[in-house]
Amino acid sequence: MSEARAVQFRNRVPRLAEAAVQRARLSVVPRQQTRAARVPFVTLVTLLLVGGVVGLLLFNTSMQQASFAATALEGQATNLSAREQTLQLELDRLRDPQAVAEKARSLGMVESAGTAFLMLGEDKVVGKAVPAPPDSGTRIQPPAPDKPAALDPPPVKAPPAKNRQHQQNNQQQNQQGDGQQGNQQGNQQGNRQQRSGR
Amino acid sequence: MSPPRGGSALFRLRFGFVAIAIVLSIYGARLVQLQGLDPKSYAAMAAAEGVVSITLPADRGAILDRDGEPLAESVDGLMIVADPKLTTEHAPYLAKELANELGLDYFTTLKALSKPDTRFQYIARRVPATQALNAVERLTEAGYKGLATERDPLRDYTRDVAANLLGYMGTDGEPLGGMELTFDKILAGKDGSARYEVGGGNRIPLGDNQTVKPVDGKDLKLTIDLDLQWFVQRVLRQTVLNARAESGMAVVMDTRTGEVLALADDPTFDANGPLRREDKSNLGSRAMSDVYEPGSVEKVLTLAALLDAGKVTPWTKILVPPELPRQDRVIHDHWDHGNEKLTLTGVLAKSSNIGTVLAADQFEPAELHGYLDKFGFGQRTKVGVRGETAGMLSDPDTWSQINQDTIAFGQGVSVNALQMAAAINTVANGGVRVSPSLVRGSAVTDQGEQVGTDVASPERVLSEKAARQTAQMMEKVVDPEDGTAPKAAVPDYRVAGKTGTAQRVNPECGCYEQDAFDVSFAGFAPADDPRFTVYVVLRKPGVAGGGGSLAGPAFSTIMQHALRRYSVPPTGTKAPDLPVTWTRR
Repeated sequence: MSEARAVQFRNRVPRLAEAAVQRARLSVVPRQQTRAARVPFVTLVTLLLVGGVVGLLLFNTSMQQASFAATALEGQATNLSAREQTLQLELDRLRDPQAVAEKARSLGMVESAGTAFLMLGEDKVVGKAVPAPPDSGTRIQPPAPDKPAALDPPPVKAPPAKNRQHQQNNQQQNQQGDGQQGNQQGNQQGNRQQRSGR
Repeated sequence: MSPPRGGSALFRLRFGFVAIAIVLSIYGARLVQLQGLDPKSYAAMAAAEGVVSITLPADRGAILDRDGEPLAESVDGLMIVADPKLTTEHAPYLAKELANELGLDYFTTLKALSKPDTRFQYIARRVPATQALNAVERLTEAGYKGLATERDPLRDYTRDVAANLLGYMGTDGEPLGGMELTFDKILAGKDGSARYEVGGGNRIPLGDNQTVKPVDGKDLKLTIDLDLQWFVQRVLRQTVLNARAESGMAVVMDTRTGEVLALADDPTFDANGPLRREDKSNLGSRAMSDVYEPGSVEKVLTLAALLDAGKVTPWTKILVPPELPRQDRVIHDHWDHGNEKLTLTGVLAKSSNIGTVLAADQFEPAELHGYLDKFGFGQRTKVGVRGETAGMLSDPDTWSQINQDTIAFGQGVSVNALQMAAAINTVANGGVRVSPSLVRGSAVTDQGEQVGTDVASPERVLSEKAARQTAQMMEKVVDPEDGTAPKAAVPDYRVAGKTGTAQRVNPECGCYEQDAFDVSFAGFAPADDPRFTVYVVLRKPGVAGGGGSLAGPAFSTIMQHALRRYSVPPTGTKAPDLPVTWTRR
């Protein structure tokens, strides 16, 4: 179609200097058939694809690895905190005033009986430091629990016999022994005797 | 050549369509089966397969003493459970190992491990986590199956200290009494939760993941001094045992701040151990829940009120007759005497009922009631202890003469131990009553009450002079010659105190029991600059004796310990020698 118009146009134009016109006629430069090399592009895309996949894979793997590590560390943290708490518990048990007092008693320590205060500003001593008595009388152990009846039968009364005098003596001795134990160790037998004497 | 080719293409196309349609309809049918018929069970199965949902337990707050030492704290514990179906075979060996390692009872463990027809048995509860894990791991690695651990929070209490105040926790970690229950909202915190997908025991990194962080409970700080509380409890137990008393209670208060440093009850219970049957009645704090008549300790308040009203002085001369008939009753003194010429100081030192009644005659019922009301009688102290009683102070309009007389020396009015300690503390604190407190800072109870040192309020009840004079009169009580309680004295220190011996009221008949008393001793030291108020009460002692001889020594021991512990030096002054008797000139 464009060729037809061109012909028309050509016909309308007066045929002046036809040769010059012929020379000057524009014509389409023939398209060069140069094609970009395909290889680099394909390589790039392939590389990108492979890189992406491999990267993703590596990323995923490292995340998994991190997750394993996190799980292991969490477990370790739980264990360690449990251990810390157990140790804290142990420490508290050791610092328990009852435990400290028992240790102190077993080392032969006693409560002080009097305290003297040095008043530094006034150059004087207030109060009297006196030697502590060997036993302050404050018992720190609870009394032993009452024994069940099976282990604590009522005393058997001996029938009156010829050697009654002898038995009574024995009994008296026993009672004294019990009483002492009751005083010294909070022995349950001693307590029971006190109670029954109410 | 072209028609057959076209036909084959068409055939292939059709065949392909049919094949795809068949496959798609299989998918469709499966889809309907999965989503339409029973979608939930499959969703649940899927969830069970990969999704883990756990509770993130909040740590329960600790209960601390005034220096931050724990009185009660939570530790991660574990329970050991067994599947007897798997353990029966090796039960004796397992039982032996577990009993040795965890201190369990061999026979109980053996029974649990070999119990038939069950797949779940508790072996041990509330074991410290590492201990339990070690034991179970060791046995599992050795090839024994059927043992497992589960979370079981453990509440640990300081051994045998303040159990009556703190309360205790149930086996499932629920609070069952005392402050654990009262302040549970503060202590408990809020459990969180986590949901995540797992694969092969590990969290899937980009899987569904939801975490609500737990909110840990807050610590509760008390005014209790752990070491002092321990000491007071030991002394009290010894005193109760020696006196063969039914129960006992002791209070140590910081005079200036009203902070309760120790509040001891005996008998008590072990909050760490399993509850025994006989503990049932010992769980609460008797010092707060028991009401009793204060007896002669009350005389301090009556006489202080009289001094404050300007109606008497420590030197007021009173002629005390051997007995005093009033209305339908005759009032006696605890000792037989003729006509005694006692000063007001003497009346207090010798604890004369008759003298107190005669002095109190100058009060109208409303006046005495007004003072007692200001001392805190008839009102709960609101320190945050469960089951506190308000005591009983009746309306003055209903008082007859004999009511006022007996109330003046501590009968016909009832109190709890902390109320009474706070009232005596008013005298110690120069006439200003500070409301006692057990919680440092402030906290809200489950009843919505605000308690704690932040809300403690001072209120003047007596003039400073009246308070000082009362304290000086009270010093005569521990006087070796004139007083009723020389055993309550503390060497080197000036001590003011008062004994109390009150007949017990039988709640069933409302009458006084014969030969059953509540004896007590209240006092403070140093008398001229008081730091501590100590109150010791023994209920129904089984040996003869009054407040001075039974409760006095315990008071002295506790007071001496408190003064030494807080490094309070003796004031070094001499007590004024107030006359206890008078002679007509």
